[in-house]
Amino acid sequence: MQFKLTDEQKMMQDMARDFAQKEILPTLKEDERDHRFRPELVKKMADLGFFGCAIPEEYGGNGCGFFESVLLAEQLAKVSGSWRVPLNMQNIGPSVTVNRFGTREQKERFIPAWVKADSFGFFAITEPNSGSDVAGMGTTATDRGDHWELNGQKMWISNAHVGDWGLVYAFTDKSKKYKGMTCFIVNLKDNEGIVTAPIETKLGLHCSPTGEIAFTKARIPKDSILGEVGQGFKICMWQLNNTRVSCAAGALGIGGGAIEAAINYANERTQFGKKIGSYQMVQAQIADIVAEHEAAKLLVYQAAWLKDQGMPNQHQTSIAKLFASEAAVHATSETMKIFGSYGFSTEFPAERFLRDAQSLRVVEGTSNIQKTIIAGIALGDVENR
Amino acid sequence: MNILVCIKQVPDMESRFKVDEDGTWFDGADLAWRMNEYDEYAVEQAVQLKEETGGDLTVLCIGPERVKETMKKALAMGCDRGVHVVDNESFKKDPFAIASIIAEFAGPKNFDLIFTGMQSQDRGSAQVGVLVAEMLGLPCATTIVGFSFDNGVISVKRELEGGVKAKVTASVPALVTCQLGLNSPRYLTLPNILKAKKKEMLVIPVADLSKTQALEETTSLYFPEKKGTGLILEGDVADLADQLIKILKEKTAVLA
Repeated sequence: MQFKLTDEQKMMQDMARDFAQKEILPTLKEDERDHRFRPELVKKMADLGFFGCAIPEEYGGNGCGFFESVLLAEQLAKVSGSWRVPLNMQNIGPSVTVNRFGTREQKERFIPAWVKADSFGFFAITEPNSGSDVAGMGTTATDRGDHWELNGQKMWISNAHVGDWGLVYAFTDKSKKYKGMTCFIVNLKDNEGIVTAPIETKLGLHCSPTGEIAFTKARIPKDSILGEVGQGFKICMWQLNNTRVSCAAGALGIGGGAIEAAINYANERTQFGKKIGSYQMVQAQIADIVAEHEAAKLLVYQAAWLKDQGMPNQHQTSIAKLFASEAAVHATSETMKIFGSYGFSTEFPAERFLRDAQSLRVVEGTSNIQKTIIAGIALGDVENR
Repeated sequence: MNILVCIKQVPDMESRFKVDEDGTWFDGADLAWRMNEYDEYAVEQAVQLKEETGGDLTVLCIGPERVKETMKKALAMGCDRGVHVVDNESFKKDPFAIASIIAEFAGPKNFDLIFTGMQSQDRGSAQVGVLVAEMLGLPCATTIVGFSFDNGVISVKRELEGGVKAKVTASVPALVTCQLGLNSPRYLTLPNILKAKKKEMLVIPVADLSKTQALEETTSLYFPEKKGTGLILEGDVADLADQLIKILKEKTAVLA
């Protein structure tokens, strides 16, 4: 067993912390207020090599793995939950998935552009009527001889209205149920049959663009298929198991950021003539959230490490995602209580941490879905992959 | 160009410091360590110069095994090789002894330019760079906030007291000490962090370079005594105003 980060990993962690403090934090309040996405910041992250994890060097890889990406995600989310999202959009989502299932030509064409943020990535699974039930999706792709025709609607898609190339999941043969689903690499821009629109009614993650995509007889080139026809569901589950660990790391960051704020406040604020941190009830609150946070950290790091070893990890990834996101919600909720009235104020960060944390028990499979996966594997009904 | 940059590893200044058992320095256990802030400006400037003119850039650091972590950061920023002078008791050495070690190493290497921070964040003597220059017989410009190099001549902007600036030129070889405002140290990129692992790290026992004795000794290190809780004036408003004016007249220069 080895619980120590290498010097290089520590440097990456420090660098990401420094980056978040200097590049994200100074304008965060205004950016949150205005729901501002900053494309130039994604580009800066790309220049520092943030998006080349778990990618071969020939396609722009940086020599790092999931573990390092998780360290970055944690540090970014500590400052802003929104700014963890590009790691999944550029790297762990489309890039890693195309690297696993794509042809050589597709890898050369798409991965370096995502890694360099020349192309903004996305992946479109969820629809107005299908979330947890992925195989219940209604979007279809019909073979029209010289092209595929996409019809349907996707919703709650990160990067929808700012995205360029990304992954779209659709049914090529509904009668085959989940075995009739196929993954397409699609360009959202310059296609008459594709319309995107932002969703700005979110509770949190205000700096991360979310939107919907409508496909109406959208013509997609024949060579757009990732993997094989009918392999979409398998690719989708494989991809979610990867992007899930980055969400878990985001939860770790948001929870950690809240805990830091809570501890500082408990050490500064005095009531009845004493620091509030000297009262046992506040101490109990802090002890609970710190203990949960440390446990979540070990789970998330373990899941990422297993991925880098190429070992089965679905079980551990879902445990990490479930535990870390629930811990983050608890930590941010307790932080708000410790802050008292200031916790309820938008002038202080406690409420933002709480709003952003809520997203993490929904995205990449709700907490209930994680429990289904965990129990399924624990009961021996499903194999750990 | 043959360039040397000297760096020091210092505790994170946010740390909670404790005086050590000898009572002459702080306790190093449980501290987080990082590169001295001013040395980051020195490394950044040295790397920029190397990128501009080509050549070779060595980073030197004196201290125990843990300083390698800080040296790796300098290598990831763009230094070509590291020289680690291993000294578990470097914290006991005065600026003269430290400067002597650097001068002993640098003397035969004929560096064209040596960069140092203007001072360390922990000891804060601001003497090491200047002493190295003196020992090597080099021109020295301190507290620089601007730097350019052209045709064997450095032009630097120095920061003086009261916001005054001075422009200074000198032919190389020379030494400069770097101040806040000189540049913004770059972020490390992930590929460069990994490449730094493969760069050469020369290890020299301090005994090989230490030829002098310290000239001064820190006899005690202590926290200043906590002062009382300020003065609370009492009485009605007119009386309070009189008391305040009296204090301002007697104890400050605010009122004559």
